Amino acid sequence: MDCASLNPFPEAAAFRRSPSEVMRLERMGCAHPTRLSFLRTLLRRVMDQGWVFDRPVWDVDEAGVGRAVYRAIGPDRTYSLVAFSHDLPDEMRSDRVIATAWDATFTMFDGEPTQDDLDRLQANVPLQEAGRISRKELSLSRANRSVRLFEHVIDRLAAGQQPDADEVEAVGYLMRTTAVYGSGKFGAADLTTIAERPELNAPFQVEMMSVWLTRQFTVDITEHLARVRGGDRAERLDPVIKRTLGVGNSTGLGMAPFLVRHPVLLNNWMMAREEALARVRAQSNAQPNSVSGFRKALSDAQENAAKWTSTHPIQVTKLDALRRDLAQLADHTRDWPTTNEPHPWDALWRWAEVELSIEGQEALLSIILEPHGDLIDGLAECMIADEQAAFRLDGSMTVAELMDRLERYYDWALDIDFDQPENAARFWYVSEEKLEPRLGDRFEEDGAALEQPLCIARLAKDLHTALAVQPGETPIAAFLLAHPEHRLMVRRAQVVQRHPYAEVRDNLIAAEMLPIDLMRCKLAFFGASRFDPRSDKWVRISLFQGLPYPSDLCPEGWA
Amino acid sequence: MTKAAIDDLEPNDPTRSGPPLSGETGAWLSNNEIEQLCLKAARGAGMSWGLAEEAGFAAAWLARRGMDGPMAVLTQLNHAQGRAWNEICPVVASDQLRPADGNILCPIALGAALCDHGTLLGLGGDQKSLRIGPVSHPVLLLPFLSDLARTCGLNLRLRWSDGTVLLGADGSLLGDVDVIGAETAFEAEISAHVGSVSQDQTAPKVRLVASNTLNGLNSYALKTTVPASEASRAGAGADDNE
Repeated sequence: MDCASLNPFPEAAAFRRSPSEVMRLERMGCAHPTRLSFLRTLLRRVMDQGWVFDRPVWDVDEAGVGRAVYRAIGPDRTYSLVAFSHDLPDEMRSDRVIATAWDATFTMFDGEPTQDDLDRLQANVPLQEAGRISRKELSLSRANRSVRLFEHVIDRLAAGQQPDADEVEAVGYLMRTTAVYGSGKFGAADLTTIAERPELNAPFQVEMMSVWLTRQFTVDITEHLARVRGGDRAERLDPVIKRTLGVGNSTGLGMAPFLVRHPVLLNNWMMAREEALARVRAQSNAQPNSVSGFRKALSDAQENAAKWTSTHPIQVTKLDALRRDLAQLADHTRDWPTTNEPHPWDALWRWAEVELSIEGQEALLSIILEPHGDLIDGLAECMIADEQAAFRLDGSMTVAELMDRLERYYDWALDIDFDQPENAARFWYVSEEKLEPRLGDRFEEDGAALEQPLCIARLAKDLHTALAVQPGETPIAAFLLAHPEHRLMVRRAQVVQRHPYAEVRDNLIAAEMLPIDLMRCKLAFFGASRFDPRSDKWVRISLFQGLPYPSDLCPEGWA
Repeated sequence: MTKAAIDDLEPNDPTRSGPPLSGETGAWLSNNEIEQLCLKAARGAGMSWGLAEEAGFAAAWLARRGMDGPMAVLTQLNHAQGRAWNEICPVVASDQLRPADGNILCPIALGAALCDHGTLLGLGGDQKSLRIGPVSHPVLLLPFLSDLARTCGLNLRLRWSDGTVLLGADGSLLGDVDVIGAETAFEAEISAHVGSVSQDQTAPKVRLVASNTLNGLNSYALKTTVPASEASRAGAGADDNE
């Protein structure tokens, strides 16, 4: 990690969990959002730096059709979310990537758009993938209404009433995004354009900003339509109810391979989080204000767990375990810490490792990070990655050295017998139809010859087998001349050597592998809550639920 | 854009290039798109995944400097169709990287081999130089030589019968860049360059990729994809309407 040399807490290293513990799908699939999650980092930054938010354009008609601009004015630069609101017939509403129309479409503009910019965007953004944006834009996204809640809220507000609390809680959002495309997609600016900007020095900050401003739009358009319908009688949404609404998001398999395709980035995310946990555990005592912060975070987590629902059998089991674990944790910590207990946070952690399920342990991680902002928030600046710097492989390494690396970092893969059908049951591929990643059954579907290189365990084992028959002193450069098919895996193996948390240490083509575990890990880093799998391949989540709105920070911008 | 026009778009276009922004015959692609498209195309044309990544890297590197990397990659992919790996990959000796008898090297394979060998090549030692080639579409070597210069901490000189290009350890580029862009094949010599290489650092460029280049790359890229079956669609995404 880039920040290692600046680490003010060298003693934390002894408390760090090992990659062989952390990088297992079972544990990654229990990840909870933390204060290092990207949306939390964004909110801290805009509050600390006093960003100003307003809505200079609101040009929306009585049918809810039109456009709006949301401005985020930072210390050095301004960003503008350009929103297009549409009147979408119900039968066209689909969250699938194959949809061609949405209730609302968005782009994040780098600066303040002119009228010409807005007209250009109007001709392209509503088309999403079928349109083109330019290097003046930083993201492209769309959202659909929750038909159930959106209508209910408009009805109630138009009648001068507030929505039913149970209805609000059951859905949790007015609109859900169905895709948020970031840098370099569909003509948008490349990541290098923004890589040097200090205000975006954390992963996915543009995308998080876009979703946060979108959350404001979902309330604005709802209140607008309620006013159209109810006239003077219409109420505005109660601030307390409003706060409980997030932005929904549905995410399919397309997201799952991301963590595998970006090993250096994955390492930096994990490393920052694990370093944060280690720092907390390494403290020799528990300060009273940290303990009270812990109790508050635990109580919030219990409330969240009570409201968190899912009908997916796996998630139901996990939620039961989580609620039980949190109750046990509350019980255990009633008189905690006892006086003179050395390293009380570490003692608590070790207790949890014995007593709690993985779900509960990972929840505890999030809870104990919460009161330690001063100790860990700086780590949020260590989570981006210069992937190009890790691209060039070292061909002077010998076959023997690479064998040694594989045996050290891929021991978990070398033992797998891929001749057993259950260990090679799946294959990842890209569908011709929508060019999205999919997962096939190797023995029942066609297309395994076009497998994507996400079967890392098998690639590692194949490489190890190929190296084993080479003279040990042969440089890898010479090996690759004869075996270009191993080039990708050689590159990865060399990356892992410097980035210990870069690799998911599980067989991604095994019969029992759950893609939702990869999604939960990634979404937790985003800051998503209420993870709700609808199958083992797609999920619903909520973003920014319970957090403030831009209009809370700058009410005058919405006057 | 009308509904009919949307329907007319190539449904399987990996870039979703859509309507051009101002009527050009092509699409403005970000560097990320160029890299990903060329990676997929190279894989679709038969390269290993790891080498296909090198092709994507090379195309984006050239495009960032205002050169038509996508077209160079496409031309090379067309050129290499039907040729076996051992016909296009270099045989490495201490003073030269040559093809096996009578063949012509792939610039991606040669470039990757040069970078892999890095300091093993011994450039920078006593006036040492390396003979390379013949290699097709040699403009594609530049990204690799630039990386090689950085890895070795040396400025490098690439010299052939019709020109010279200097590549700095700091990523700078100078010389007959247009000439190399027009070469379809050459033999050349690489050596350390003692003087400095200075060049105005230009801002990253967005590249208008011509329609025929896009179409060619897209057809190769499509060969990496699998036609969808009903079974594969089921459960891949969300379709309920809460």
